[in-house]
Amino acid sequence: MTSSPPPSSGRPLPVPDALSAPYWAAAARHVLTLSRCSDCGTLTHPPDVVCDACGSTDPRFTAVPVDGRGVVRSWTVVRQSFLPGFADLLPFVLVDVELTEQPDVRLVGRLLDGPDAPLKTGSPVRVAFEDLAEGVAVPAFVLAESA
Amino acid sequence: MSAPNRARDEVAIVGYAQSPVVRHADRSLGALTLDTARAAIADAGLTPDQVDGFVTASLFPTSGEHAVVDGVSVVSADWLAARLNPNPRYAANFSGLGQIPGSMAMAVNAVASGAAEHVLVHRALHNPAGSYHGTRAAEFRGGLQWTAPQGFFGPLAMIGLTYNEYVQRYGASREALAEVVVEARKNGARLPWSHWSGRPLTAEQYLAEPMLADPIGRFDCDIPVDGAAAFVLTTAERARDLPHRPVHVSGYASGAPPRRRLPAHWPLDDIMAAGTEMADRLWAAAGMGLDEIDLLQVYDGFSPLVFLWLEALGRCPVGEGHHYVRDGGIDSDRPGADPVLLSGGSLGNGRMHGVPQLLECYLQVSGRAGERQRDGVTTALSCHSSPHLGGALVYSAHPQPATHHDPRT
Ligand SMILES: [Zn+2]
Repeated sequence: MTSSPPPSSGRPLPVPDALSAPYWAAAARHVLTLSRCSDCGTLTHPPDVVCDACGSTDPRFTAVPVDGRGVVRSWTVVRQSFLPGFADLLPFVLVDVELTEQPDVRLVGRLLDGPDAPLKTGSPVRVAFEDLAEGVAVPAFVLAESA
Repeated sequence: MSAPNRARDEVAIVGYAQSPVVRHADRSLGALTLDTARAAIADAGLTPDQVDGFVTASLFPTSGEHAVVDGVSVVSADWLAARLNPNPRYAANFSGLGQIPGSMAMAVNAVASGAAEHVLVHRALHNPAGSYHGTRAAEFRGGLQWTAPQGFFGPLAMIGLTYNEYVQRYGASREALAEVVVEARKNGARLPWSHWSGRPLTAEQYLAEPMLADPIGRFDCDIPVDGAAAFVLTTAERARDLPHRPVHVSGYASGAPPRRRLPAHWPLDDIMAAGTEMADRLWAAAGMGLDEIDLLQVYDGFSPLVFLWLEALGRCPVGEGHHYVRDGGIDSDRPGADPVLLSGGSLGNGRMHGVPQLLECYLQVSGRAGERQRDGVTTALSCHSSPHLGGALVYSAHPQPATHHDPRT
């Protein structure tokens, strides 16, 4: 049996490492995770070698699923990209999102509703995923109904 | 209350040189920097063998694929020392952001401690051929794995998110940012060494420019250049015997270690919280407050940083920087205004990082600013980078008496 090459967006891909591998594995299944410190339970993103909340040097971060809801703190319309694979997507919106699960965690991703989507500070969003290649998906956001 | 910094006013700037700032120099950055360093040493009335300390920050602030080659795209302290005094007592590179306050602090400490007698601080910046920030990278490791595949990459998106947060919260207008850029370009147009020499910008030209990362357009960003500047520092005591009026470094402060964020993510509240703390450390270090500063030179590598610096330093309340600059508030030609971009800044010189602000403070306090010289400037303050990750320096013509107390106590 022959296999066709995996679909590819031409966009750059994340290269998982020891700390990030659980996050990217979950993202491939379209599940957003944050890293929970095993000592104090605080969520963080991205994971690191120590916990900044409790100071643990052995935080044993685990990737825990979150519902991916949040509110827009800011946005920008990207009209010139410096990366491969984005030219056909211009212009696109990046949103800076405060996650409901823990508001001091902020994520930045594309808003998939297009450049003319009605946005204001506090607009509710939820996570969505873009499949970039076989087994690789990255988080993005879409506008959500108000809670 | 901690003890005052014993380096306060003990170290002075005694000479300088500034190269032409051009899009692409017709020779190597190393050659340009070496000539600039020699000129600064001569300006200070010294010879290279007397310069026994070398400090720089050699960050090459590109997101692109350019190789970092010493003498070509960067010039390290060691590279320069090897060609001026190959047996220096002190040679060091500052590696953080706020490269000017960071490297100046190291030079001040080296002189004050006696680690070196005469320290040359230089900054050399390069504009490589091809796209400055563009990359063809097919994958990203480390910190950028969290942002680049999602399309968040490079400084335009970074400042676009920060500044839109400001615009949405405080209602800043395009006209307010135009006021900043036009003022920087006006002052830069008067500088013979500037890339923008003789080329001011009108508000109409600014407003006609399309967005790159809303609400940021091309003229809100400093243009990449080849350029070098150098300053010579020594003790206040030795400075008295040198040709130019010494400019003492009264204090310095740098931003706090950043809290955990995605790479190049600068939430507005992070900037203002850490920035106001940085300002408090600066006043304590310098032994004076903002009301004792005759000339304030803020950093403008991205135009919105002018608002953020004015607010972090307390020149105006948080959220009101965009009002402060309107209607000629920072117009260097208007009597009574606050000429915070007299240096031309990075927007009016080219991407020289915090060099223009440092240079203008030096020239004004030493009385060497020529046609731009203002009366009564005996103290000055220069900023670089962002208030939360960068820093600032305070300068004085006259050392303070040892009994001068921290104004906050
Ligand atoms: Zn913890």
